[in-house]
Amino acid sequence: MTTPLLEIEDLHACVGDKEIIKGFSLTVNEGEIHALMGPNGAGKSTLSNVLCGKPGYEVTSGSVTFKGRDLLALSPEERAREGIFLCMQYPVEIPGVPTATFLKHAVNAVRKHRGEPELDTMEFIKMVREEGRKLGIDAEMIKRPLNVGFSGGEKKRLETLQMSVLKPAFTILDEADSGLDIDALKVVADGINALRDGRRAMLVITHYQRLLNYVVPDFVHVYANGKIVCSGDKSLALELEEKGYADFVKEK
Amino acid sequence: MAALLQDISLIGDENPWLRNLRARGRQAFAAAGIPSAKTEAWKYTKPRELNNDDFIMAQPANLGSAAYSLPFDAYKICFDNGYFNPAASDLPQGVEVVPLIEALLFCPETRRLAGSLADIAKHPFAALNQAYLNEGIYIRIEKNVQLKKPLFILSHTTPAGQNLFFNLHNLIVMEENASAVIGEYHYWTGELKARYFANLVNEIFLAAGARLQHFKVQDEAFKAHHIALNSVMQQASSRYEAFCLQRGAGLGRNETLVKLSATGAEAEVNAAYVMNGWATLDTTTDIEHLAPSTVSEQMVKGVIGGDARGVFQGKIHIAPNAVKTSGNQLHKALLLTDTAEIDVKPELEIFADDVKCSHGAASGELDANQLFYMQSRGIGLAEARQILIDAYLDEVIAKISNEKIREWIKLFAQSADK
Repeated sequence: MTTPLLEIEDLHACVGDKEIIKGFSLTVNEGEIHALMGPNGAGKSTLSNVLCGKPGYEVTSGSVTFKGRDLLALSPEERAREGIFLCMQYPVEIPGVPTATFLKHAVNAVRKHRGEPELDTMEFIKMVREEGRKLGIDAEMIKRPLNVGFSGGEKKRLETLQMSVLKPAFTILDEADSGLDIDALKVVADGINALRDGRRAMLVITHYQRLLNYVVPDFVHVYANGKIVCSGDKSLALELEEKGYADFVKEK
Repeated sequence: MAALLQDISLIGDENPWLRNLRARGRQAFAAAGIPSAKTEAWKYTKPRELNNDDFIMAQPANLGSAAYSLPFDAYKICFDNGYFNPAASDLPQGVEVVPLIEALLFCPETRRLAGSLADIAKHPFAALNQAYLNEGIYIRIEKNVQLKKPLFILSHTTPAGQNLFFNLHNLIVMEENASAVIGEYHYWTGELKARYFANLVNEIFLAAGARLQHFKVQDEAFKAHHIALNSVMQQASSRYEAFCLQRGAGLGRNETLVKLSATGAEAEVNAAYVMNGWATLDTTTDIEHLAPSTVSEQMVKGVIGGDARGVFQGKIHIAPNAVKTSGNQLHKALLLTDTAEIDVKPELEIFADDVKCSHGAASGELDANQLFYMQSRGIGLAEARQILIDAYLDEVIAKISNEKIREWIKLFAQSADK
């Protein structure tokens, strides 16, 4: 029996005085894709923010173990270097910072952590172009200030490019499909599928079943009121689409 | 104050004209005294420590010729502890660049210039500077001449044990259609905690069509006082482009007065300041639009951490006849700690119709979402902060039109303590 990549046990977390996550448990093994589906307000974004260490969230009890380490004890950057990547619903715009500058800092921070040599500018550009080419993403976008003036689709393409360049062990896709047209959705899905190598794992957080047509999950969980209320295989997603969340939320 | 007004004899005192000029400075400073919080122009920047009695006049120092090497080709005018160092200097040929005292004694035309722009009744430290009028440089770029390389004034202080005090006074004359790049770099080596007081005045004359780019880096020791007054008179269609980075001193003030006195004169006065620790860095401007179709642009950005304080006082004055003018001013500051402080006083005085004027001020902190976004990609917090601060300052540094000097100043901004 191998150790799971990620193990969340009875997690409770608050924003201010309000408890949002109320006893969440999930085990993700290497290579698995888990879809987490839930209605608005279920606490989906809170979960991804807590896993990535965003300030402003307080974990009141429970544990998260990643690669055998206590994830909650690590800073956000340490979690990222260990291989956690959050593909954000609303990527942040940073005026004045060229995307290339930002991404080169990120790549080298992660490489340094892995004991790999840092890339110089030429090597870095070459690598990004190569990754972009595989995904059909024009790497020219890295010359522009980070996410500034990017369309919704461009932002998601850039998130996908970052994911592909940083090669995380565990990726959380937070509503990665929101606001995307079908072409952009395919680019994101291709990026995710390209990273599937039997070892990398993912948590696909989504409101709709649409993305799951392109990224086929191994497990589907229904998330409501701060915890998983029902789990199944990919057919559960279709059932949800048909019946809506109401029945599942009530069940528990 | 006694320590700052010493009774010493200076070169040229036997000349009644010069003796009187110095005496007037002395009287004006004695009457005004060191500004206190009651002095409106010095409300936020309080040079209290200058009241200490332990300043001594700097003496000529023999520091050899170990001049600072600039990373680009430039002429150099070197001062050590406020005294001209000819051995370390590299002066342009065919251009009049003369130590101030020689110019005052031997070029009579300079006498109507010295003290003509720096109003000693309004500016006590200009009065103090005039009391010691002696060291500095006279630069005259003749009509239609374009200076080939930047000309840098390098002021190097080596405080050791005593609280040095020195004055520099530069006269810069740009004749019709002349153009030049003039830089200033104020730096020090020696005792970390040394106090000293550098009191500086530039009087700058731009004739019709003249163009001057004036760049400055203030990187004084962290307990030093650096008080500088730049007074600029512009004739028709002349252009003055200034950028000053302050990143040193315990109290640093760079004050720029511009008189756009004839049609079509343009001034761009930009600045940045970066400070941690406990210093006060002051940027003060007063742009007077005195003729029609004159233009001024100002952008000042600061990054303040620790217990440090940033001060910006910016005034735009538009005279009744100065129609079709435009004057814009923007100040922005980034506060890195709860104990950092900024004091901002923008003033618009508009007496003409048909003008375009704006001023704006903003201050804020580093954006938590931007920091988290970078951290979530593996970038450490300190590095993420540095990236954001550099980007913040880049907006104003990008306005420096000379590429090599821009890159040089950018390195100073990026490596500043913050």
